[in-house]
This record gives sequence, structure tokens and C-alpha cells, in this order.
Amino acid sequence: MKGVKKLVNKRVKCTGCSLLCDDIIVRGDGLYIDEVIGACLKGKEKFEQITGKNRILSPLVRDKGELKKVSLDTALERSIEIMKESSKPLLYGFSTVSCQAQLKGIELAKSINGFIDSNSVICQGKVLNTAKEMGLTLATISEVINKTDLLILWGANAAESIPRLLNKILFSRGKFRMTGREIKTLIIIDPVKTASFGVMGVRDLSLNIDPGKDIELIRVLKEECCTPSGFPADGVAGIDQDDLKRLLIQITNAENAVIFIGQGILSSQTSVNVVHELLDLVHMINIKQQKGRMSIMMLGGHYNMAGFDQVALSLFGKNHSLQFFDNNLVETSETIISKLSKEDFDCSIIVGTDPISHLPWKLSKALMSKPLILIDNKKSATFNVADVILPSSLTGIECEGLAYRLDHVPIELQKIVNPPNNIISDEELLSKLISRLNPI
Amino acid sequence: MELYKFLPKTNCKKCGKPTCMAFALDLLQGKVKIDDCPPLLEPKYKKNYNTLKELIGSEEGKEKELRIDVETDLCDGCGICVTVCPVNARYCPPTLSGKAPDYPPEKHQLFQVKAGKCELLAIKYCRRIEAQGRERECRVCETYCPRDAIKIDYV
Ligand code: SF4
Ligand code: SF4
Ligand code: SF4
Ligand code: SF4
Repeated sequence: MKGVKKLVNKRVKCTGCSLLCDDIIVRGDGLYIDEVIGACLKGKEKFEQITGKNRILSPLVRDKGELKKVSLDTALERSIEIMKESSKPLLYGFSTVSCQAQLKGIELAKSINGFIDSNSVICQGKVLNTAKEMGLTLATISEVINKTDLLILWGANAAESIPRLLNKILFSRGKFRMTGREIKTLIIIDPVKTASFGVMGVRDLSLNIDPGKDIELIRVLKEECCTPSGFPADGVAGIDQDDLKRLLIQITNAENAVIFIGQGILSSQTSVNVVHELLDLVHMINIKQQKGRMSIMMLGGHYNMAGFDQVALSLFGKNHSLQFFDNNLVETSETIISKLSKEDFDCSIIVGTDPISHLPWKLSKALMSKPLILIDNKKSATFNVADVILPSSLTGIECEGLAYRLDHVPIELQKIVNPPNNIISDEELLSKLISRLNPI
Repeated sequence: MELYKFLPKTNCKKCGKPTCMAFALDLLQGKVKIDDCPPLLEPKYKKNYNTLKELIGSEEGKEKELRIDVETDLCDGCGICVTVCPVNARYCPPTLSGKAPDYPPEKHQLFQVKAGKCELLAIKYCRRIEAQGRERECRVCETYCPRDAIKIDYV
């Protein structure tokens, strides 16, 4: 009989999504995690990935069409070969790795004259780009918990993408008052009735906007803010006059309002314009408001999407789409999408993401047609087409790292257990590639 | 006192209670049954007897046992029920800022999320059993669960 395991409780952070909940309790003996308490289903699945069926446990290299298990050395060598043969390498992903790994990724791109982009470019990166011209008022989660009295979910199905978000921002009671839900008003603007509508109370406002008409609504609100002349009688974008009036009263009277911009806006085709108008509206309200304040929070999904933006911004003043040549950043207006559609690359290094299943088919096909090196911890569609696969450990569970939460607050992630098969972290893998490329 | 209206109001004490009013009170609390009043069984009270049966039927809910069902298949562990339940708020301070309560659970704690799913712990401290007055009407866990996974019922 085995000795009785001594289980200890430990509060840890979860890397299941960009909320990076820091209150998860794991019970374990230091070698294994036995129980996860407090995490949502998504978070629990993340912790289960340690022993998940789709975990990548050894380096693989494609040989005559077949993936073969090899030593890490061989896989690294093969990667170096691919990179050396290439003159226009593409690096993409980096939204589910630590900031340290992102830094190494940029360094690698530098040393191979590569083009590096993160998932953020097709998501919240657009907001940050727009914000460079017009400024951005961000809120933090604690601010929302303690102070906010109006929450607007705009094209954001928080209940699905970030399961515990509503719990934290809407139902928590906060430090300064013992009431929570009662004083917080929720407005949901969405063309479809998502699960988030389930938390609506009587004072809340749900607006079923016509798809793609967000910009019209914002423009009308802006107009009303400067020169009140009444809303059109037949409403705007499928929202009737009464609701428009209530919306305006809410946003102009709230003491501390936060707009949560979700995927519905971030990943739409016209998002740049929408975001521009939206930031303008926020700006306008903030100027007009005497005591109140309105801010924005972006709901990207991957746990460290904000990290790449921060790292790249702090180094180069540009948050995505970095092209390097001769160790220097060069001006470019390309993005991963334009690069792929023009097939302007000759090999790709994908880190911690699954573009083959996310991107449109045409772009995936372009990716598949060139050598592909994948650094990741779980099998995916991209895994099935990759030429070299380097397995990495799970940041926040099997190795430490820094990540930026969705409100752009840095969170130090911890190590809880040892990785299987001595798998090393994304950061170490990238460092090994760099040092092999440039032997001293 | 609606029930009283339909009793014989003779205060005959055959039920063992001093007055019909006392009987009606006990009836309301489910301590006695309609059949415990012998005169009511006489044919002339037949109509009253049937009316009482109906009335009790609708009030009986109060005396049935409270059940809170969590449909685990629907639940995704968002933890809203854990945070929003006033009993948890009172006994588990972390829930005030939307955090997961400590583990092992405090004895009053009603909900916890474990392995990504909600678990009901100590139903006996639910306000629908413990509290008085308006607080007894608490239903917030059922109302705010975004997945409609919680059902409050009496069986
Ligand atoms: S909401 Fe996100 S960070 Fe929090 S427990 Fe769920 S998956 Fe993890
Ligand atoms: S037996 Fe019936 S009629 Fe007599 S006192 Fe009791 S309730 Fe009243
Ligand atoms: S509120 Fe509903 S979905 Fe959320 S944890 Fe509770 S039962 Fe599950
Ligand atoms: S009814 Fe109220 S007290 Fe009872 S479990 Fe639900 S929220 Fe808690």
C-alpha cells in the first residue's frame, strides 16, 4: 500500500484565458495536481492538459511525409536547417506563451531577418493601433470590481469566452460598498442572444443591434452627445428610440462606466473604423462628464495576447507586425494576413497557436505549402501539417513566466509541477534556436 | 387567515386543539391534517372540506422539502452562484471580490466550484430555509445562473 499522500492547498493563477484568475486552489502533493477548485471548466481543462490526450510529449520531425519521434537535438538541427535555407521567415503566434518567450521570439526574428506577428493583429491589436493616435482610457479589473457602476458588453459574449469575467466584474461586491449586483447596471449590445444575456436584471438594458451596424449606433450617440436633437423616430440599427434614450442617459450619467469590447467588434472586417469611432465617443463623454469617467477593456481570448503588444511596444513602439532586416526594424505595412495571401514568405515558425484551424482556408493552404516549425504543447490542425515539432512545457503550470492580463496588468505565473519527459519551456526552446543560429 | 374561514368554527375541541383558530394555524404549518378535524368529515361540511383540500394543496409547497438542483451538464463553473449567494457572501469573505472561497469549505458555504463544475454543499443554510420574511424569498442563484443550470424546487 502506498503511503497516504499529504495534499496541500495552494492558490495559483490560471492560464485558461486572458482573465488569469489568481484565486484558483490546486490540491496536490507537489508532484501531481489532484484537484482544482474555483476554476471554471475551461480553466480546469487547462490544468488537465498536463496529462491530456493531445499533449505533445516528444520532438517530431517529418520524414517522407511521416512524423517521426526524434531527439530534441535532431529536431533543433532540422529547424536550424530550415531557417538557414530561408530568406523570408515568418514568425507567428506568441499569444499563449510568456513575455520572456515573446522577447526571445523577437530576438529570433531579428537574427533571421524575419517577420514576426502575434495573434493580436487580428484582434485587440487594432484597438491599440487606433489608440496610438487618440489615446485610450483603460480600466483594471480591481477598478471594475470596486468602483464601476455601468458595464457595457459590446459584441462580447463574456459568458462563453471568459467564463468567470461576469462573476468578477458584475457580481462581486467590492471594497467600498457591500452591494454588488444591485448598483451595477449592465448593458449588452449584441446582434445575437448569447449566454451572457442570462445575467440580466430588471434595470439592465439588452440591445439587439443589427449585425454590422455598430458604427451607426456610435455615430448617432456621438451626435446626441454634442448637439442633442433627438433620436430618429424609427430608431437606429434596429434599436428603438426609447432604448436609445435609456442608453444615452446611462452612458452620460454613470460615475464609472466601462465598455468591454469583445470579439464581435475586434474580429469584424470593419473593426478599425468602429474602434476609431468608439474611442472617439469615449473621449467625448470623458470630456463632457464632470465627475464621471468612461474606460475601455478589451476581451482578447488568449492568456497573454496583451503581453506581445506590451513587449513589442516597449521595444519598438509598434505593437505587432515587426519586420527585421540586418538586426534592425524596418518600416512595413504588411501584416501576417497580407504576407500569407501574397505568399511572401518561405518558411514559418508558429509558436503556441493553431493558425491552420483559425485562418481562412486560402491562407492556411499558403502556410502548409512552406516548411513549418511548430512550438506548442498540444496537438492541433497545425500539428498535423508541421515539418518540425518542438514540444514545450505549460507556462503557469510547469514553468514560470510573466503574462499580461486582459486589463494590461502584468501577472507573474508560477510553476506548480514538473513537466513530463523533461520538456523545456517555450523560452528555452527559442533561446536554444538562437544560440545555435549564432554560435559564439 | 383564509383557512380559518372554512373550518366549522365551533371550537368543539375534537381535534385536540382549544380553538378552530389554533387548528387553522397548525394546519398552515403542516402540523395537522384536514382529516384531523372530525366535524369536517361530516357531509354538511363537504364543500368546505374540498375547498380546504385545494387551499392546502397550494400552500403545501411551503412545507415541502427544498431542493436545489444543479444541472452539471449545463454548468461551466463560472462561479456566479458562489459569489452571488448571500450566505456565501456572509461566511466566505473572498467571494466579496468575486474570488473562490477557501478550501475546505466553511460549514455554511452553499456552493463551490470544483473540477470546473458547481457543487451544492450545505442546503440547510439556504435562506429559503433559514431566513425570515423577505429574505426567505431568495432566489438569486437561480435567477443569475447564465446557463440556467440551477433549479429551485419543492418536493
Ligand atoms: S475564467 Fe479564465 S483564467 Fe479564470 S478560471 Fe476560467 S479559464 Fe481560468
Ligand atoms: S375539531 Fe374542527 S371544529 Fe372542532 S375545534 Fe377542531 S377545528 Fe374546530
Ligand atoms: S452560476 Fe450556473 S453555470 Fe455558473 S457555476 Fe453556478 S451553476 Fe454553474
Ligand atoms: S436561494 Fe439564495 S440563499 Fe439559497 S442557495 Fe440560492 S442564493 Fe443561496
